[in-house]
Amino acid sequence: MGPGRIKEQDMLKELGPGFRLTLIFTVLTGLLYPAVMTGVSELVFPKQANGSLVTVGGKVVGSSLIGQPFAKAEYFHPRPSAAGSGYDATASSGSNLGPTSAKLLHGTTKMDDKNNEIVDFDGIGLRIVHYCIDNDIPYQSSIPIDQFKDSHGDLDEVKLIKAFNDDKSPLAFTPKTPIPQDAVTASASGLDPHISPTNADLQAGRVAKARGISADQVKQLIPQFTDRADLGFLGEPRVNVLMLNVALDQHFPASK
Amino acid sequence: MTLLGIAQIAIFFVLVVAITKPAGVFMYRVFEGERTFLHPVFRPLERLIYWLGGVREEEEQSWVRYSASMISLSIFSFIFVYLLQRLQGHLPLNPMHFSTPQAPSNATAMTPDLAFNTAVSFTTNTNWQSYSPDTTMSYLTQMAALAVQNFVSAAVGIAVAVALIRGFARHTAKTIGNFWVDVTRCTLYVLLPICILATLFFVAQGSIQNFKGPATVTTLEGASQVIEQGPLASQLAIKMLGTNGGGYFNANSAHPYENPTPLANLLQMLLIFVLGAGLTYMFGKMVRDTRQGWAIFAAMSLMFLAGAFICYWAEQRGNPMLTNMGLEHVYTAGQPGGNMEGKEVRFGNPMTALFATVTTDASCGAVIGMHDSFTPIGGLVPLFNIQTDEVIFGGVGAGLYSMLIYAVVAVFIGGLMVGRTPEYVGKKIEQKEVKMAIIAILATSVVILGFTAISSVAPFAKGGYWNSPGPAAANTNNGAAHGFSEMLYAYSSGAGNNGSAFAGINANTPWYNLTIGLDMLVGRFLFIIPALAIAGSLASKKLVPVTSGTLPTNGSLFVVLLIGTVIIVGALTYFPALSLGPIVEHFQMLNGKLF
Repeated sequence: MGPGRIKEQDMLKELGPGFRLTLIFTVLTGLLYPAVMTGVSELVFPKQANGSLVTVGGKVVGSSLIGQPFAKAEYFHPRPSAAGSGYDATASSGSNLGPTSAKLLHGTTKMDDKNNEIVDFDGIGLRIVHYCIDNDIPYQSSIPIDQFKDSHGDLDEVKLIKAFNDDKSPLAFTPKTPIPQDAVTASASGLDPHISPTNADLQAGRVAKARGISADQVKQLIPQFTDRADLGFLGEPRVNVLMLNVALDQHFPASK
Repeated sequence: MTLLGIAQIAIFFVLVVAITKPAGVFMYRVFEGERTFLHPVFRPLERLIYWLGGVREEEEQSWVRYSASMISLSIFSFIFVYLLQRLQGHLPLNPMHFSTPQAPSNATAMTPDLAFNTAVSFTTNTNWQSYSPDTTMSYLTQMAALAVQNFVSAAVGIAVAVALIRGFARHTAKTIGNFWVDVTRCTLYVLLPICILATLFFVAQGSIQNFKGPATVTTLEGASQVIEQGPLASQLAIKMLGTNGGGYFNANSAHPYENPTPLANLLQMLLIFVLGAGLTYMFGKMVRDTRQGWAIFAAMSLMFLAGAFICYWAEQRGNPMLTNMGLEHVYTAGQPGGNMEGKEVRFGNPMTALFATVTTDASCGAVIGMHDSFTPIGGLVPLFNIQTDEVIFGGVGAGLYSMLIYAVVAVFIGGLMVGRTPEYVGKKIEQKEVKMAIIAILATSVVILGFTAISSVAPFAKGGYWNSPGPAAANTNNGAAHGFSEMLYAYSSGAGNNGSAFAGINANTPWYNLTIGLDMLVGRFLFIIPALAIAGSLASKKLVPVTSGTLPTNGSLFVVLLIGTVIIVGALTYFPALSLGPIVEHFQMLNGKLF
């Protein structure tokens, strides 16, 4: 037998089984297998098979596995998200920005329809500013942060992003003690349901204040929703944000 | 690096060692046609498939017939997948109404070039996805087109490996087995049973498995959140076991439904390696010297451990620019440190680095963290793994046949050094085998480097069909060296049939869909056909007795020679390109340069 050339009659003879086996495998592994697995899963693990949905007072408020956006002071905040416009569970995604990306570190701005400059991508620098101010974390800044506040006392995010991106003397804003990475970086899925325990601890004071309770009361709740490493060595300790916030609402309802 | 992080890698490796022999013995029995404990259940089904398929079980095939059968199955698979995708708007099980006028606004159109690319991708075991499944594929397409190929393309890979092993094991023989029988047995006795158990485990851990439409919930803050559902776990199991890697969701195994817990993640990593590792033992058993198999296993293991620790070290060390901005890079009991952009809290740095190494050692390509956001050296490890043809346990079957091709080159180089005709497991390695081995290795590097070079400079006109105007390099999400890495990774991943990505590249354009499609075809078939040619040639040869002049290929000397061959061939071929990508970016990062 020489190398290469496939004889024509050989090839044609094999077309029949090729067509038939493609059909057979489609029925067996593409229809029967998933159908049977669905049936068994519904019987044995109905809650998980249907998405681990969480019900509060008869209403479905989310899934314990899927992160959701929280912005109010009285709730623990999840990680930044690159899924759609944030925690879009039809568009899971990371930022896919690399370690030398100016966009990732310093953010970008763009012009909207009315030619106003708005935030295009917030960037880690701006997230650090918000995190420090929201949670009363001491910081040092090369330019006093009051210079970035508008007449209402709100932060001017566009101005901050421009200051971070300034070529000559960029804004240097650093917390006095390092803050956890997960607080200001986007997850791989954009739907990470967890934050690190340190991140939760740092937010406890803000949550307590907004609910008019003591930080210790909030901190006592955190361990109940903290998972340690699986089997003692796999993965990392983590706090489930949705479940913790549901418990907060039950134990310490926020005053309207 | 922490003790706990090192322990995760070490314990995972111990588990791989532990499952290698049982998996190898079982596959040996299956492919030698011996009775297994699964025969009472699956033997009648096996016979039925042969009867329906028109396959004569006892018939043996030459390597040419074997190749023809393999190509036949691949062609019909391609056609089925292509048609199911293009017609999905008219078919059932499409609750998100993709490819119909009622499709959601963020849905991706199923264009001919996208359907072509995806059909090639899944029939070649690559699972490169230039689309986002969340917004593109109906349940039916996922199950009956994509997941089926996850079974079939995996079975094809294993069948080719088994055929190549028979080439070594047989002597003065004209045939290397029956392709249809090998594929059917692999699917029934190996893939399906493991997938059934793994599916249930994943569901128990929290993966979804249903045919319901998306769940719309009202969040605690009163917003509306649409959570997609579907038959995920069954596809997840074969995606890992078959080293396919194509995600049910865009975020792949980083998605909490697709990888709910670190424990589920451990099983996913074991599923990637189990068959590739088991095949090394089966190889030794079939050539009647299990030490030959363990020598291959040892070479793979050493490269695996080196890659895993380098990647973990780089990721845990993190990005010094983020440290300067006031982020914690040191691991503490309460937070993961390192580089957490594109990583999930439940997995952290060591597990994500380990998974990235495993998924590219094998040609799986599933991810639990975004490789695009890794540090440059952390991202270099997966890239180099793919470029050296994924010989570390490897894609199911593909890993072993690729490694055996490197073994042919290694004994050839060894033979040149001592001036004797090279031999491997009792067969003389001659001109034809070496030529075929070099064709296989060269073909992939030509398309990887060639297409990357063209895309780096090719200009596209305004209003053209192939790509948006300007250079194809503009489709990347990052600039400079990192953008180059995104293109290099894309073509490496395609030709390596891996399917993972530096995902910040917009590859869903006719230009990328076509070139990456061709890249995948070359990487698959110009590797398999030379491998089968080697099998046919070896099978026809006589066994040569071991003499004092034979270079032993079952000891540590050969392990070193084999690793050296893989690394030298990889380094010589790809070092210039890697220097322009991750290596230069590493120094830019250390010097605080942004782009």
